[in-house]
Amino acid sequence: MDKLVACQTCGLIQEVDDVPKDSVIKCARCNFQIFHRRVNSRARTLAFSLAALILYFPSNIYPIITADYQGQHVQTTIFQGIRSLFERHQYFIGSLMFCTSILTPVLKIIGLIFITLTLDWTCWKKTRTWIFKVIRIIDPWNMLEVFLLAICVSMVELGEVATVHPGRGVFAFAACVVLTLLATLSFDSRLLWDSPEEKKHYE
Amino acid sequence: MNEETHTLPKAKMGKSRFNWFLWFIPMAAALLCAWYVCQDIIFVGPTITIYFQNAEGLQEQNSLVQYRGVKIGEIETLKLTQDRQQVGVKVQLDTSAASIAQKGSVFWIVRPELKLGAVSGLRTIVLGNYIAVQPGHGARTNIFIGVENEPIEPIQALDILLLAAKLDSLQPQSPVFYRGVKVGEVLDCRLSDDARKVLVQARIDQNYAPLVRMNSKFWNAGGIDFHLGLFSGAKLTAESAQTLISGGIAFATPPDFKEVATNGTVFSL
Repeated sequence: MDKLVACQTCGLIQEVDDVPKDSVIKCARCNFQIFHRRVNSRARTLAFSLAALILYFPSNIYPIITADYQGQHVQTTIFQGIRSLFERHQYFIGSLMFCTSILTPVLKIIGLIFITLTLDWTCWKKTRTWIFKVIRIIDPWNMLEVFLLAICVSMVELGEVATVHPGRGVFAFAACVVLTLLATLSFDSRLLWDSPEEKKHYE
Repeated sequence: MNEETHTLPKAKMGKSRFNWFLWFIPMAAALLCAWYVCQDIIFVGPTITIYFQNAEGLQEQNSLVQYRGVKIGEIETLKLTQDRQQVGVKVQLDTSAASIAQKGSVFWIVRPELKLGAVSGLRTIVLGNYIAVQPGHGARTNIFIGVENEPIEPIQALDILLLAAKLDSLQPQSPVFYRGVKVGEVLDCRLSDDARKVLVQARIDQNYAPLVRMNSKFWNAGGIDFHLGLFSGAKLTAESAQTLISGGIAFATPPDFKEVATNGTVFSL
């Protein structure tokens, strides 16, 4: 493959021999890892998105917010929060929350898993590209998940006697968000149009 | 310049570590999931249903079941029974309180109460009504009938019955005095079966139980005594400030002690 590589850290241009599997190249000067492609992209993406998919269920089933408000002990899951938004006729925020915290994460996770699993298939190449396009489109909306907690907190109408603390599902939820992020980060889109022998080399 | 490009440094090779580590991430996620499920299935006590006449103030997913001031369960759902006569309260008990689900356990709803001379359940005004329980010791069961009020605890005390011509201002929790010292209280007041007398059930604390003899005399100490004598002048007495409002009973025992009264002894007021 490419013989010349510039170190991303110190900028030193250096020659690279053929890289055997399960080894990494390191810069001759600064000893930082250098790579053409994201390392181990396919396996990483698959591992991260699998983990995210597994944690997606508890994060939606278990309450992420527990609030003690005027003696009421309220536990809210994401879905209940959205439903109560709809009940208060906050259709816009409700559907935004539904899209950003329930719909897009699962679409993205399943899309990534599908792409990484079917990468060896010669057919469906167009579908994979299309899925990747969709993932790219919904990606920025995913980031809104970060604001979900803020919305939830305002939803229980913080009063003077209210205490809001994270529920059981919040760890799964946070982990799911982070893992989805890592999965997207570790996915190298060039895998999508690699030729078979390139594939062997870069996976 | 051209020569320098030929003497480019060679990049170093290194073993890539942590590749095997990668698959621990989904495994850890699966373990976390399994832990959640375990918590739901294994580390959760039994679900019981309590039927109340009136579940006022209870909330689904919200209200608690408490015993000795500690949360031992949560209310899952409230449902009207088929015949609309009762409310079925489904309660998820904690594991630590699994032994509550035994025959003989008595459940009641604690509400804020404002009675003369006594205020109870003040906490519930802020924290919401909750279900309290008195554990039983029977066989395991999941269905209970809730009672309206806190059951009278079978504590060590002397329970006596007083027959009065009329109730005056007596009510449950009115005090019973001996020489002005509160030694007990009224538990319950009701009409006798033939409605000719009022039955007042009173409880004397165990410490003072020997004071009640078969020849003790009880009288109603409620309200104000007003004496107007030619030589003694006007005299206004009341047993205590509390009796002014909630009434009370006083008793005295003559010096010639008879045998000690037993539970259920009947005196006239």
